[in-house]
Amino acid sequence: MTKYVQHELKVESNKEELARQNFVMGMRSYVLHDMANGMRAAYDAKIEPAFERRQGRKPLDGPEVHKALKNETSFKFYSNMRCNTQEMSFRSVLPAIERNVENLNRKAKTLSQSTEKAAGSVDINSTFEIPKSVANIDVHLMPGSYVTEYAEDDVTQGAVYDNGISVFSMGFFGENLDDIGSTLALYISKKYPDFSPSKILDLGCTIGHNTVPWARTYPEAEVHAIDVAAPALRYGHARAQSQGATVHFHQQSAEATEFEDESFDMIFSSMFLHEVPKDGIHKAFREAHRLLKPGGLMLHMELPPNKMLGAYDAFYMDWDSYYNKEPYYKTFRDMDPVKVCVAAGFKETNFIQYIVPSLGLYGRNAVLDSVKEALTEANENTGRFGDGIMWYSFGAWK
Amino acid sequence: MWANKPKKLKTKLRYSVRGKRFQFFDAQGVDELVSINMALAQELWVVKERQATMEAVAAAKGIVLPEEIEDHEFSDDQKEALEAERKAFIDRIFFILREEAEALEDDLDAEPAAPEVP
Repeated sequence: MTKYVQHELKVESNKEELARQNFVMGMRSYVLHDMANGMRAAYDAKIEPAFERRQGRKPLDGPEVHKALKNETSFKFYSNMRCNTQEMSFRSVLPAIERNVENLNRKAKTLSQSTEKAAGSVDINSTFEIPKSVANIDVHLMPGSYVTEYAEDDVTQGAVYDNGISVFSMGFFGENLDDIGSTLALYISKKYPDFSPSKILDLGCTIGHNTVPWARTYPEAEVHAIDVAAPALRYGHARAQSQGATVHFHQQSAEATEFEDESFDMIFSSMFLHEVPKDGIHKAFREAHRLLKPGGLMLHMELPPNKMLGAYDAFYMDWDSYYNKEPYYKTFRDMDPVKVCVAAGFKETNFIQYIVPSLGLYGRNAVLDSVKEALTEANENTGRFGDGIMWYSFGAWK
Repeated sequence: MWANKPKKLKTKLRYSVRGKRFQFFDAQGVDELVSINMALAQELWVVKERQATMEAVAAAKGIVLPEEIEDHEFSDDQKEALEAERKAFIDRIFFILREEAEALEDDLDAEPAAPEVP
């Protein structure tokens, strides 16, 4: 089975398929470290000095670096091989899933109907209109995107995401793909020990991998999760059931949910906002403001905004927007998180942002230490699989 | 494993990524060559892992492999299975070319556009 899929929906890959997955993980590491460092070295040694000689100054932002770098051979190899390893991550897990479509769907149904370990639910809306931002593009080069359905009540694309991301992440998303949720839930629970949310909502939850940690950290809370993709929701529900976490999944849009005003204490999202077009982000923030009770918390984990980064790091993180079929990434990261929160009705004085070390990589004490000493500087390791893993998050209290 | 005839699949999944294709190198075909080389390297790794496994298994059973290999003949069924596997192998290595052909059917206008490269 794929290395980091540990629940009852795991599929058996044969030895050859596992060897292919191992190769892809090795290539991912090679591209993100060796080739990325090589590209940076070429930039520092050749490109930036040449720019400075011509313009009398260093590049100011990501686009200036991108323009200067795009004809460089190391950029071309880095970019091609990043695209290839991205596609290969998903392709390496497809054969095992393809053999097991019927099994997976059967297992998901059984898990859904069982209340043995958890009492979660999934609510799919057959008339729901899937936004083009997800339906018309194979997001992050994942064949079929989140939404293709191969059978009735299909979970296949949930499995493609789960297994594909397991290869893609090389373990840096955690043994259960939940490092982001686990890190931030622990951080929040220690930073705000008097905060006891009784109702939590995860926006754009995909397969609920970062939702479950909130259910575990706040066991008294009622946990809900929404996404526009039915296969991801069905898979996420079965996965949560398998892991003994009660989560209620709903097919809804974060831009306009069906929940009542002031019905949640905590609203969370992780690696979601960058997949939403600009006007959708504003709508989602206004919706979050409407949904939050006074004194509630909105928190979004994402890659840091460009305003926090130097020109090269901004270019480096913007790369996915141009080439990884994540076209909204740059627009999102060009936004000012403070302004987005304020525009949605949150007070500027209630804005928060944190950079927290990965629980999986650095351990519990590192996270607890960071509660005391807030980190404020982002760099190319923040949110990426660089030489260290730090999770950036921002939001506001209502 | 390759010697077992592959079971017929009830549901076939899409392996190709839809929509606009990436191109980073100016010369035509270079991006594809890189893709093909990566697939080739991957297949070579598969063989190396399997060979490592085989040698370990054989050694544990006290079998001297080089002699056994020289004397060996595949059955007709095994030959058929090997041929099917070779076909799949070639498809994997040159997958990029199939993906480009399948992309010809895609509606490029429907796909949300990436920001313009500066």
